[in-house]
Amino acid sequence: MTKRWLKLAAVPIALSFVAASCGSDDESGGGDTTPDTAAPAATDAPDDGGGGGDGDFGGATVTITGPERDDPSIASLNDVLGAFGEANNINIEYTGDADWEANINTQVQGGNPPNISYFPQPGKLADFARAGNLKPLTDEVNATVDEFWIDGFQLYGNVDGVQYGIPAKTDLKSLVWYQPQAFADAGYEVPTTFAEFTALIDTMAAADGPKPLCVGIESGQATGWTYTDWVEEMVLRLHGPDVYDQWVNHEIPFDDPQIQEAMQAPVDLWTEDNVFAAAGSIAATSFADNGQPLVDGQCYMHRQANFFAGLFPEGTVFADGSPEAVDVFYFPDINGDRPVLTAGIFAAAFDDDPATMAVMNYIATADYAEKRQAAQTEAVGGGLSGYLSAALGQDPNVYQPLEQSFLAILADAQIARFDGSDLMPADVGAGTFWSEGTSLVNGDVDVATAAERIEASWPG
Amino acid sequence: METLERIEADGGPDEPAPLESEAAARDARWYFQAGAAVATIIGLLYWAVVEEKIRSTLITVVITVVASAGLWIAANVLFDQVRSRWATFNAIAFGLLGAVLGVLLHGNGITVGSGSGFLPWVIGPLVGAAVLGTLGYVMTRTQDANQRLMIATGTGLAAGILIAVAVREQFQPGLDFVAIVVYTAILAAIGAGISILLKHSPVGGAMIGAAIGWIVGAWGGADLGDGSLVESLVATVVPATLLGARFGMTTDPDYAERVNIDTHSRATIFVGPAILFIFAMLVVPAIRTGYLSLLDRNSEEFVDGENYGSVFTDRNSLDVDNWTDMFTSVPFLIGVVLLGIAVVVGAAMKKRTGRAVEIGNPTVGPLVVGLLLISFGAFTAMRGTLINNLWWVVVVTFFSTALGLAIAVLADGRRGERVAKSIIFMPMAISLVGASIIWRFVYLARDTSTEQTGVMNALWVGLGRLSTGSGLPTLIVTVVLAICVVLALIFLSNALVKREYGRAIVPAILTVSLGWFFIRFVGIIGDGVGGFKIDDDGTVSGQTIFFVQEVPYANFWLMVIMIWIQTGFSMVILSSAIKAVPTELIEAAKIDGATESQAFWRVVLPQIATTIGVIVTTLIVGVMKVFDIVKVTTNGQFGTQVLANNMFDEAFNRVNIGKGAALAMLIFFSVLPVMIFNIRKMQQEG
Repeated sequence: MTKRWLKLAAVPIALSFVAASCGSDDESGGGDTTPDTAAPAATDAPDDGGGGGDGDFGGATVTITGPERDDPSIASLNDVLGAFGEANNINIEYTGDADWEANINTQVQGGNPPNISYFPQPGKLADFARAGNLKPLTDEVNATVDEFWIDGFQLYGNVDGVQYGIPAKTDLKSLVWYQPQAFADAGYEVPTTFAEFTALIDTMAAADGPKPLCVGIESGQATGWTYTDWVEEMVLRLHGPDVYDQWVNHEIPFDDPQIQEAMQAPVDLWTEDNVFAAAGSIAATSFADNGQPLVDGQCYMHRQANFFAGLFPEGTVFADGSPEAVDVFYFPDINGDRPVLTAGIFAAAFDDDPATMAVMNYIATADYAEKRQAAQTEAVGGGLSGYLSAALGQDPNVYQPLEQSFLAILADAQIARFDGSDLMPADVGAGTFWSEGTSLVNGDVDVATAAERIEASWPG
Repeated sequence: METLERIEADGGPDEPAPLESEAAARDARWYFQAGAAVATIIGLLYWAVVEEKIRSTLITVVITVVASAGLWIAANVLFDQVRSRWATFNAIAFGLLGAVLGVLLHGNGITVGSGSGFLPWVIGPLVGAAVLGTLGYVMTRTQDANQRLMIATGTGLAAGILIAVAVREQFQPGLDFVAIVVYTAILAAIGAGISILLKHSPVGGAMIGAAIGWIVGAWGGADLGDGSLVESLVATVVPATLLGARFGMTTDPDYAERVNIDTHSRATIFVGPAILFIFAMLVVPAIRTGYLSLLDRNSEEFVDGENYGSVFTDRNSLDVDNWTDMFTSVPFLIGVVLLGIAVVVGAAMKKRTGRAVEIGNPTVGPLVVGLLLISFGAFTAMRGTLINNLWWVVVVTFFSTALGLAIAVLADGRRGERVAKSIIFMPMAISLVGASIIWRFVYLARDTSTEQTGVMNALWVGLGRLSTGSGLPTLIVTVVLAICVVLALIFLSNALVKREYGRAIVPAILTVSLGWFFIRFVGIIGDGVGGFKIDDDGTVSGQTIFFVQEVPYANFWLMVIMIWIQTGFSMVILSSAIKAVPTELIEAAKIDGATESQAFWRVVLPQIATTIGVIVTTLIVGVMKVFDIVKVTTNGQFGTQVLANNMFDEAFNRVNIGKGAALAMLIFFSVLPVMIFNIRKMQQEG
């Protein structure tokens, strides 16, 4: 009798294993956040933004997710946040998520969001803010943001007049990578206007040497974003910031002739003679695979954002005057108004617990930027970190010469606009603009059809 | 122990030595197993001490295991009381019911005192347990029908009043009497119907149905918090009294009935949790998905069938504008030629055997291949997610089954069968994602100024270089090719001279294809074969094929991955089916003069027809849901989007929940008939 019981008991035991393994995730995620509200020192804890700080949050846990998951980024984030957490008795956990875009939706809908998330797309931040998932910044954090960030960068963390996001990382997109020595050897000059730029491309293509440009737009799930960056650059250069804003806000249709002109411009430039595509076709070449051919002398120029420094092959040296060094020049403008295309990461909080807001407050400071830059430089072994912050009051010495030239271009810019595809609704900005753009580059559709289909997909 | 005794008895005193060693081996094995188990547990415990996450998970697991095992054993023990201690059983069972009701009401914050400390948590369940437990006990003490009815109805009424009073003000319903009447009527009718189906009196079922309907109508159809105590009473007392009266109408079961309850309860205890699981994890989500598919992107407003409609009107999912292109596509034209051949052969066969089309006669080959090519041509002319899915189903199902069958037949009973089958089965062990990554490398193209690293393009460009080159390798290949063509010609002429036309078919095909290849290779027609291009100035450079970027053929190259994986599956199953065909049948056929191929087509194939049916349907279901391959290789770019990947994109990247749910339902509905067919087939066989 007893034996039969034992055997029979095996069934529910097996079942309950299933149940337990299903259930255990939530317990570890949800249970930790409750003590936060009870933390006694909470209200007066946030420091003046000078960094370090010495609040005590009773070991409250703050979970942070974000799209950055390369080793140096994770190492530096853990370093910086870890040190802050230790000083303030907060247990900060950062998770870099390769599929962040899909997972953050699932987490929020499942009622299990992180405390803080880094947003690479202000559009998504705005969506969550309008849906009431995000918490506005507290007055203290707002004061810190005002202290360290000029309005142009705060702007995209602001939703309907309420500040939700803190700029946590700045990307500068309007850059062209090249090897000064290769230019010197062939007798080419760095172009300062767009006309000079295209003329240079023609000269290079006619010469029997490396191709003028390296281009690749493949990026897994996000294939096509490199093309959208080019289109945004062209809209800014051809038609100026006002048209750009109207376009991004859908005040002019996507298939407006001005936009079509900008969409066609890169395609015209990317002819077979002009482009070295490492994987044969532009649509098949990973955007990350353009560093090697530039260093190998298979192409002269590559337009890509500042973070691309991290995607050059190991051992590449930057802007140190040596023959094989790689440097950047400003992607030339047409009308002399020096527009720059920027992007960046914003931190936003899903709750306003004191510990969470203390961490948010710290992320807004120059100390965070400086420390992260230092840690990341160390993590990559002393070269370019791939990190850049436009926070005010940083010690410029934490940046390498090339990174200082990024900051110089940013400072020179008269017009700065955020990556438009990140501001558009996800159906377009992370959907049809990518996919139809890829089809256009691949030669499957013409520009009018692509623009018309993107316009048709604009929600609402 | 049983086995040990038998061995001792069998072995007898003659052979003590092997017995001892066997026992020793068994002991050793036992010690080893026990040691391994202890080591595992110690390792786990150590890990738990070191890692906090493991510790909390382990504690959760232990608690859950103990709790569910305890619950399950308790349920069994409880039902052990049914036969001899009916009163105890009834009291406990009803008490538990009351306690659960109390917990439910309290846990959802419906009753007063919710959310304020521990004591109210206990009071509600305790009161529930006391009331219903007493009812259960008292009901076993009386057999008189009138008394039973009065007691039960009275208790129901009392319980209803109790609950109504305990309901918090925020939950008092503002009654909508139309909803109450409608729901009560509908559910009463359903209850009566079920009762009649189960061959009971319809009154009982109608009463339970009416009670549930009243609850749903009064609470579900109302604005909670708008009501008063009176409305609460109306909403609760009526169903509670109805349920009580229904219970009062039962008779106290006698011993035979109790034995019956005891026996049946075991099955319920076993299956109950599983059904509950399936219901909570499968049925409810499915229904909810169906509901969400009718709402807009934020799941807020009803949009009727707009989500479904958009799937069919969106040109990304269905684009047949250029369908006339199919008439000019090469596969279509070849297919038409093959169909023509099939008609001619069919006419000839009709004359000879009286049947134009018959399994195994020469008409079938060109007919099937012709139809396949025509459909292929049609698919290349049309675009969109739906077309792609259909294309996948047709091509993958056909090739996986056909190749699997061919390999199973050809390898059957040959030397090296096992090795060959193992190798072909191997891809099944690779995950779809892994396979996709492997094939991405196979299909990879590099810039033509560099070496090709993808196998296919390396071969293709290499062939082009050979064909257009003039060095020694080109010469060698030319000579080898020429020899092959001549050999094929010799075989062909031999067969023709002997008038064995059947044996001439293979050499004829070989001669034509090799000959054509030779002509192209040496450049008699065109400039050569392979991946190359000749510029205006005469320089020859390589040219790659963009396997997964070329619309629409990229679809086909992705299907190859699926075929590569699934062929092993169909091969293994078909192989075992072929081996299960009785040899007597085949031998009998051969004695009657059937040739090898006749024996296969006429005897073996009909025997394994059901198995083929199962494989085809399983493949269709699997292919309809294809996701991983597309996700990894192209993510739906280059005209390779399929329903499942589209669903993922819509639901999780673009957060259009309505459209995502609609696509999920669409996949479900398109798979459903095949599933039903498959299950019925399996049940018939069983």
